[in-house]
Amino acid sequence: MNARKPRRHRVASSQVGLMLLMVAGVFAVLSPRFLTPGNLLNVCTSASVVAIVGLGMTLAIASGNFDLSVGSTAAFAGCVTVSLVQQIGVALAILAGLATGAAVGLINGLIVTELGVPAFIATLGMLTIVRGAALIYTGGRDIYLYGQTQYKILSSGLTPVLLALALAFVLWFVLQHTRFGRHILATGSNAMSARRVGVRTSLVLLGVFSIVGATAALSGLILSAQVLTGNGRLATGLELSAIAVVVLGGTPLTGGQASIAGTLQGSVLVAVINNGLNLLNVSIFYQNVTLGLLLLGTIALEALRTDRRRTKQLTTR
Amino acid sequence: MRILQTHKSRIPDAPATGSSINQVDWDLLWERFGTAVVTITIWLIAGLSTPRFANVDNFVSVLRQSAFVGVSAVGMTFAIIAGTFDLSVGSTQALCAWGAVSVAKVAGVFPAFVTAVALGGVIGLCNGSLVALVRIPAFIATLGTMFLVNGLTYILTNGQTARFSGKPFVWWGNAQVMSLPVPFVVFLGCALLGAAILHRTSFGRFIYAIGCSREAANVAGVPVAKTTILVFIVVGLFTGLGAALLGARLYSAGPGLEPGFELNVIATVVLGGTRLAGGRGSMLGTVAAAILFATLANVLNLSHVDAFVQRVVVGFVLLLALSVEGVRQRLAEYWSKRAARIPQSSQPL
Repeated sequence: MNARKPRRHRVASSQVGLMLLMVAGVFAVLSPRFLTPGNLLNVCTSASVVAIVGLGMTLAIASGNFDLSVGSTAAFAGCVTVSLVQQIGVALAILAGLATGAAVGLINGLIVTELGVPAFIATLGMLTIVRGAALIYTGGRDIYLYGQTQYKILSSGLTPVLLALALAFVLWFVLQHTRFGRHILATGSNAMSARRVGVRTSLVLLGVFSIVGATAALSGLILSAQVLTGNGRLATGLELSAIAVVVLGGTPLTGGQASIAGTLQGSVLVAVINNGLNLLNVSIFYQNVTLGLLLLGTIALEALRTDRRRTKQLTTR
Repeated sequence: MRILQTHKSRIPDAPATGSSINQVDWDLLWERFGTAVVTITIWLIAGLSTPRFANVDNFVSVLRQSAFVGVSAVGMTFAIIAGTFDLSVGSTQALCAWGAVSVAKVAGVFPAFVTAVALGGVIGLCNGSLVALVRIPAFIATLGTMFLVNGLTYILTNGQTARFSGKPFVWWGNAQVMSLPVPFVVFLGCALLGAAILHRTSFGRFIYAIGCSREAANVAGVPVAKTTILVFIVVGLFTGLGAALLGARLYSAGPGLEPGFELNVIATVVLGGTRLAGGRGSMLGTVAAAILFATLANVLNLSHVDAFVQRVVVGFVLLLALSVEGVRQRLAEYWSKRAARIPQSSQPL
């Protein structure tokens, strides 16, 4: 495995960064409130919630898989943690929540590797099951945490941002400098050949899915800490925003490549746009439209560019 | 051996000649008729255990319920056989249903259905062009249009639900023809039409060809781009029709009509035995799977199962049905490895 990144995805990644700067510049000019510290912190907090799942998802996509169950996992882990905080204390409850997420991820992985169900379907089934489990667990009601200021630490101040950055660094290190990381990319670029050269792809995928589950749980915990409430309907649709952020960041869906920095930038870009539109009093209805246009625009540019390069190669040869 | 297996899989009725070929046969039988068998089994169990299940009114309601996902699933079957899929059907459904209800209010039934179907077709055309001409992977392209259409629906409707309860319009969602619910009749018609297109036209053959191998189809002269665009248009048309029926059934429609609809539709098609990898699948399976999901929801409701537990059950059914194939393959691998270890039992060709 060559650790050097292929050119195509370096281009995509810098493209997102450029777009981010441009969009932020426009909003800074249009709205005086955009560049205030309080607002920037808001942007970063909401970006980091999606970024954390997105980072896990980057790993999954790099290994040639998806995880559609992350939204449900986030909700379930949030409920578990919130319900346990009173009984076993904040630290242990957080650990329990993360373990729940990792366990859900492990089940996903087992269904994919052992039962041979494609990841798309396996995690689609788990999306329904885990969401149901979260709702059964809470009985469909909210679990409130009154006066639990300790748990609030998870979502207050710079904590989510620091968590996202730390996670990004760890995952970057794993991908670039460990054997596990190289095996993930090998599995993603061609699972069959990876198996032939001795990569234990099933174990790799189990690891990847567990990590995705744990990251989903972490953002679920942050979300539930923000409102100090456990709710089985939390984070609905998180899976698709997470995938959108990863794709915006330039990680190709074909697997074998990953751009951790791109995912971070992608999630900040989406958060900046949503925030800027809010500041400009644009109806919330337009946020989905912009996300859709952004996604299609970025990928279309990317697709057209690789297309042109491919034809150029063909003609020069 | 491998050639023999693939050859065998095309001829379901050929007599089995060897033990390892039997494996393939079972796989194929399961793929073709598994869903139908499971559906009938569930009917039998439900009929025996739930007294209120086996009566005409309840059957009518199950069949009607199956139609709203089913009509869209007919279109999705095309897409999945062609090796792509469409995540935007949920948003499309909401927009088309709203369009149908609002047009029915001012212009009557026929324009309402035309509007819904046309809206679906236009969205399908956009999806198809993005996938086939701009070459965006279907997952991302339809994810993008999903967000786009969803936002558009909220903007157009201003977040409000449109209502209309004119007799001729709601007839399409609620009435019965020869004791069969109208939406189900439409669904069956769509499925028959779909099956005819898939198996009797060159367009249908192109779809299977593209699903088996894009490259090979392209080399063989199949108009890949044109067929792909048409496939997405077909998905949109059927989704629009299903949406109009749902609007008629509910007397109303608005944004956020049925959250998670796209995944339900894909689950229905895949449960019906159509391979997500493309190239294989049938309408019969889709119809059976749509009825299966509706039956399941109905039985669980009748036996007072909590709505939350229902979700878990539905997910489990999906996973169970789809892991059967993988488990069978695992077992077949294991058996063939064991057979390879004992030289006498090697297969005579």
